[in-house]
Amino acid sequence: MAFVIITTIIVLGTVLFNFFTPWWFTPLASNWGSLDQTIIITLWVTGVAFVLVSGFILYCVVKFRHREDRKSKYEPENPKLELWLTVVTTIGVVVMLAPGLIAWQDYIDLPEDALEVEGVGQQWTWSYRFPGDDGIYGNTNGRLISSKNTFGIDPLDAYGQDDILVRDNKVHLPINKPVVFQLRSKDVLHDFYIPQFRAKMDLVPGSQTNLWFIPTELGTYEVACAEFCGTGHWAMRGEITVDEMADFEAWLSQHPTFVETMNEGSEGRGRQIVQSLGCVACHSDTGASGIGPTWRGSFGSQRTLVNGETMNIDEAYIKKSIVNPSIQIAAGFASIMPAYNLSEDELDAIVEYMKNLSIE
Amino acid sequence: MDKHNPINSEPGILNLNHAQVFVYMLLAVVTILFLFLTNAYVFRMNFEDWQPLPVPSLLWVNTCSLVVASIGMGWATRGAKKNNQTNLKIGLLIGGFFALFFLTGQFWAWQQLIAYGYLLADNPANTFFYLITAMHGLHISGGVVAWIVITKKSWKTDSVESHSAQVSLLATYWHYLLLIWVMMFGLFLST
Amino acid sequence: MEQNAAYEGQQVYHPKGWWGHYVFSQDHKIIALQYTCVALAIGLTGMFLSMMMRMQLGFPGLFDSIDAGSYYQDVTMHGMIMVIYLLTALFLGGFGNYLIPLMLGSRDMAFPFVNMLSFWVYFLSVIILSASFFVPSGPTGAGWTLYPPQSILEGTPGGDGAGILLMLISLAVFIIAFTMGGLNYITTVLQSRARGMKMMRMPLIIWCIFLATFLGLLAFPALFVGAIMLTFDRVLETSFFMPEIFKGGEVLDYGGGSPVLFQHLFWFFGHPEVYIIALPAFGIISELISCHARKNIFGYNMMVWALVAIAGISFIVWAHHMYVAGMNPYLGFFFATTTLIIAVPTAIKVYNWVLTLWHANIKMTVPMLYCLAFLITFLIGGLTGLFLGNVSVDVPLSDTYFVVGHFHMVMAVSPVLALYGGLYHWFPSVTGRMLDDRLGKIHFWITFVGTYLIYFPMHYIGFLGVPRRYYSNQQYDFIPDSVADLNQFITICALIVGASQFILLYNFVNSAIRGKKASKNPWGACTLEWQTLESPPGHGNWGDQLPVVYRWPYDYGLPGATADFVPQNVPDEQIT
Repeated sequence: MAFVIITTIIVLGTVLFNFFTPWWFTPLASNWGSLDQTIIITLWVTGVAFVLVSGFILYCVVKFRHREDRKSKYEPENPKLELWLTVVTTIGVVVMLAPGLIAWQDYIDLPEDALEVEGVGQQWTWSYRFPGDDGIYGNTNGRLISSKNTFGIDPLDAYGQDDILVRDNKVHLPINKPVVFQLRSKDVLHDFYIPQFRAKMDLVPGSQTNLWFIPTELGTYEVACAEFCGTGHWAMRGEITVDEMADFEAWLSQHPTFVETMNEGSEGRGRQIVQSLGCVACHSDTGASGIGPTWRGSFGSQRTLVNGETMNIDEAYIKKSIVNPSIQIAAGFASIMPAYNLSEDELDAIVEYMKNLSIE
Repeated sequence: MDKHNPINSEPGILNLNHAQVFVYMLLAVVTILFLFLTNAYVFRMNFEDWQPLPVPSLLWVNTCSLVVASIGMGWATRGAKKNNQTNLKIGLLIGGFFALFFLTGQFWAWQQLIAYGYLLADNPANTFFYLITAMHGLHISGGVVAWIVITKKSWKTDSVESHSAQVSLLATYWHYLLLIWVMMFGLFLST
Repeated sequence: MEQNAAYEGQQVYHPKGWWGHYVFSQDHKIIALQYTCVALAIGLTGMFLSMMMRMQLGFPGLFDSIDAGSYYQDVTMHGMIMVIYLLTALFLGGFGNYLIPLMLGSRDMAFPFVNMLSFWVYFLSVIILSASFFVPSGPTGAGWTLYPPQSILEGTPGGDGAGILLMLISLAVFIIAFTMGGLNYITTVLQSRARGMKMMRMPLIIWCIFLATFLGLLAFPALFVGAIMLTFDRVLETSFFMPEIFKGGEVLDYGGGSPVLFQHLFWFFGHPEVYIIALPAFGIISELISCHARKNIFGYNMMVWALVAIAGISFIVWAHHMYVAGMNPYLGFFFATTTLIIAVPTAIKVYNWVLTLWHANIKMTVPMLYCLAFLITFLIGGLTGLFLGNVSVDVPLSDTYFVVGHFHMVMAVSPVLALYGGLYHWFPSVTGRMLDDRLGKIHFWITFVGTYLIYFPMHYIGFLGVPRRYYSNQQYDFIPDSVADLNQFITICALIVGASQFILLYNFVNSAIRGKKASKNPWGACTLEWQTLESPPGHGNWGDQLPVVYRWPYDYGLPGATADFVPQNVPDEQIT
């Protein structure tokens, strides 16, 4: 009897939880409501199946309890019943599969007249590129990627000159306009996922994948990487803000074109490098401690390492932390920073940047 | 009374004995292994950086060697079934030595390629070549181990008919690995 | 040298000395025990690792030593240990080895020497895997799926050290062990059945283990090839799976490879693998539910055909793990269809178990409790699979906690409940004693209710969108604080459930030494393993005479018989 009572509570609890759960879909902010609907259909079908089968089990346990004076009914098979059950199950399966496949056809059918954005993932940050006035992206080549040319755009390609580069992890999109993301990765697998848009797609290094949706609500949404990409996977947070068209265009005009970035002076170069290499995923410039120590106020100060040694944060310390971090881990932090093989120029620029962050 | 189907047992599948089921199933697994290697090869072949490897002509000699080995094993099987000890011994020796000859030849072919600068990590076509020939070579080596055991056992006995089942299975394994080699060789030649 | 007695035509090895008897034993029953002990030991390690993960998720910051690197190492090793080294080894190496010869009326496996080797090679693979805990970089933290490029690069724990290598080598060695064992099981099932034991009179658990072995033999080579190629990429810097990569400020020496190719190879193995685990669990349930409900299994023929269908279809569903992986999107239609089709034979099996309870005479023993709990939890796990298999529904749910909830329910909770039921059921056959009933019920309730409370809510934070494999959720606004509260609750449940497994362990050891002595056939089962001359069965299992089989294994409640069961080896004339 205990079994029947406890299991009945479990079954009822399972059903009721669907109506009283504090955790449900985030508010929908895109056109992919069809996915929500298919989930609801599936919930109903599977819910009914669960209640019916569990109920039957519990009924049997009560009604057919063991009694010494009884024997079970000998019933090796019942082909008609089996056939009937097979048919009913198949119908249930079709009822769920059909809307799912229809929605999938939509999902993979990229709209013609859409805004195009390239989303670039790397360990552990996002960056974006718009094709500019000519509407055509410049060719990219992995071998051309550097801290100055973080997208690896071919400087000799005319189409690439006017590409608009968004190097800082936050992108804006205009409301109610279909947008197609062309996704690529510089290093390992990532996944571009925004819960409120219900959309996700892997970024595969060496190839390009696509994703489309129509943002339907103003607001700021978070991008959460949804394919394991190393120790910083959980920290690879991006932001998408959905604006009115005018605000979006204003935002876009503030970002440099490729040509402008290639002609940038060395001022702000250090900041550019740390942004483009994804250092900002773990280190902040605000004073807030993250996965790694903050940079603000660090230059010139004392730091204790995990081995108890205290060191002065000078130029040599900073450079060593970048090219060989594992031998110089700060106390209270984990030894998970990978090494970065940067040029002397790049290292100097970063040191310069660090110094600026420590000037009060 | 056949010891593998004693009167107290349900007959096995298709009148096969234990060792036959074991080896045939093993060959199925080996087939799948090489199928996946081929699959991966064909998949990877379509990428831009693929540069086909020139096939050393030594491989033709090696193939002939493996054919002779198979013929030898076939001869050994017939000899065992007809209780002809001489034929069995000659057949086994041919089968074993030409298999070893094959292995040596494969190794020599590797050396040739390395000398010509076709190193393993340089190009996926190279890597696949070394990987597939190594896998096949490992399976031949495993067969050679079985060959040593079976040859030792059947060398000393006067009545070789009792070993015919084992020799026959070993021969099957030889023939099958020849078949696998021919398919892989064909893959290399045609791409 | 061994003496081989041709016991009525079947080779039986007579062990010499202590080493031959207990260490390098070729007796399938000893080998089964060896597999069981090693699998449970490594499984305990896997459970400990999951506790570490739960501590981070439930009480972040409590243990300083759990940083992101070690968290991912815990996640990875927990997953790989549980799936491969515990469940696959225990179901096939443990249950398979013990039951196949006994249930078929055979003296031992077809090739006892190879059987012995297969255990020791498995043991070697466990040693190699364990070694990765002791190397400087520690074990790999790449996720149990080991996807390149990240799995062999710096930035993932063990990626640039020995961690990933030891994992890959250990897997290759395991696959060799599995192949040896598997070929043995296939041969024994096909060739070594007692007279009268036709294929369609075999107990369903034998069908399940037989088909699971078949699946494994054909699926593991894909993992083998993938592992070898990944090892090459790591050690020899080839580019099977490695495309052009810009990392650490420089372009790496790789190029042209395809990460998606690894995924295809991995999941071609990976999907059949979950059925390799599920099928033996199904088999245990079929045996237990029939015996403890004192009723024949309903629809034996359909059960067999459903198993064959599941085994066959399981080879063509793999890419439902790759819907958003960047493969050709049109493949999504095909794989969604095959995946939802496989639901049909699986559902039929559930119906047949449930219909076995109809008009039965159900004894609420500990094994029966586990059967019923299996049905409830497998329902949940199987039904949530329908969400994920439906390609477009998978888009918002993929890589979220919905997936974590689903696969734990269907691979960890229900098969483990079946496993425990099997342990309670067959313990008397192995040891001649009964496991303590009261402790069994306590262990059952804590495990059943506890695991339900752990994994059921996860589906809902999956609906919310909480991603899996996240060390911390604190940075994300869309994840409310209540999720942290839930994580705390789940961790506390997990600690309690984890602790309660020691009740089983205690029960095991204590009952083996001084448990209540069992009669020869305490549950009144029809299958042959209970019809040996003595229980536990002696070496050679059957004494001088092999059994002869006259009926199928489910003559419970046979009309015309006074007893409520008739064992398989009782001819019609002898029914009382």
